[in-house]
Amino acid sequence: MRVLALTLLLMISGTQAYAADELWRTDPTDFINHFAEAGIEGILTADIDDTEKIARFRTLFNDGFDIPAMSRFVIGRTWRRTSDADKEAFITLFEDVIVYTWSRRFSEYTGQTIEVRGTTRDGNTGTLVDSVIVDEGGQTISAQWRLRMREGGLRIVDVIIEGVSMAITYRQDYTSVIRQQGGMSGLLDLLGKQVAEATPS
Amino acid sequence: MSRYTASSHILRRAVLPLVALVALSACADKPPASNPEDLRAYEELNDPLEPWNRSMHQIDQGLDTVIFNPTIAVYQTIIPEPGRKGVTNVFRNFRSTITFANDILQGEVRRAVTTLGRFVINSTVGLFGLFDIAARMGLPYHSEDFGQTFAVWGMGEGPYLYLPILGPSGGRDLTGYAIDNLGIDAMAWVGRADNPFWWQIAYFGALATDTKSNAKPVLDELKASSVDHYAALRSAYRQNRAKEIRNGAPAPLPDFEDYDDEDGDGDLFSGLKPEPAEAQTAARTD
Repeated sequence: MRVLALTLLLMISGTQAYAADELWRTDPTDFINHFAEAGIEGILTADIDDTEKIARFRTLFNDGFDIPAMSRFVIGRTWRRTSDADKEAFITLFEDVIVYTWSRRFSEYTGQTIEVRGTTRDGNTGTLVDSVIVDEGGQTISAQWRLRMREGGLRIVDVIIEGVSMAITYRQDYTSVIRQQGGMSGLLDLLGKQVAEATPS
Repeated sequence: MSRYTASSHILRRAVLPLVALVALSACADKPPASNPEDLRAYEELNDPLEPWNRSMHQIDQGLDTVIFNPTIAVYQTIIPEPGRKGVTNVFRNFRSTITFANDILQGEVRRAVTTLGRFVINSTVGLFGLFDIAARMGLPYHSEDFGQTFAVWGMGEGPYLYLPILGPSGGRDLTGYAIDNLGIDAMAWVGRADNPFWWQIAYFGALATDTKSNAKPVLDELKASSVDHYAALRSAYRQNRAKEIRNGAPAPLPDFEDYDDEDGDGDLFSGLKPEPAEAQTAARTD
């Protein structure tokens, strides 16, 4: 999961570049490259404090990922029985879990880069971007991105590292909790505690 | 008694009682056929021994805390990073017999030649495997095991199994693991021929330390990011195994179109369905 965090970090960027050129928002390869390049400079190697790094990460996570779609996916068939208030609560907590648990790994970045190797069609409006994370010793880790075209442009719905899908793993985790707790409220409680513990003071 | 090997010791003292325990322990309750949705979920999970596996997972976590994490901390203190990479390389080189044999058994001749080439180069130029010279020469490392061979031969994964120290596995992969380590691994045979018991304890102990040291960052992160660590680990293990079995071939994209299912009812085309008969009639009368 550290790799997953690093991958995400590689995609972070400032928001300044958007107005200048929006073409990357619709081209899958450019989309990943844009976030990778800007992410390294925008956060990982940027000379800013941790609070600012976390804030930028949250902005970029919201901008690059379709968090509501991911939320729907990781909850699975319980989603349609979930009240709107609980849905909203979950989306907020899910975002916090990812932002806080991944941002603890900011300091572990040691010069990795992302190289896009190719793209494949994925569903009706989707693209799968195949890439590798290359470290300074030349070792590679496979990373795939499932993208979906939305109104504002492409959004990431899943990241697959060495065959392990973030969305599927969270889905198995959360549906197991829902099954044991007998519903969403138990999951929301546990996530609330997890976020409270992970929130930087 | 001098012919007693660690392998047979482990088999008699640990594995067989564990198997007996599995047989005796309570199984997860299977949902009745009247509840097809739950039944399907249960079968997809393929973890009939879940209660037993969960207690093994807890024991394993306890062993990590008491034994392996302190051992890894000492190991990482006395051997700094380039050295630990060397240790990993030496073990990979030692255990090439496992990969080579399974490359052959899977009919992967090119990969078998790569494994053989790597062994020759790294054992000589690479100073007994300490340096992975072969990778720099365009022969990258890969691993194969008998669990993967069984999968290539068409065997299903069998029920999920979690064991202390060994961690997540399954019926197929655990059988494969036993064949690899008790039968194929050349190092196990070296130990058997000469000074069996302590040599093998040292060998498997060092191997476990190296493996766990390498896996720790990823596993720690999975633990921190999950709520039900057991379920998350089960999922991640299976996905990663599926990728290993494919040998890097493109993954079949999982049929999870929920991403595009706007109303979340599990049916992508639900928006296009004709109105129910009454609603249509009502519309016409208007």
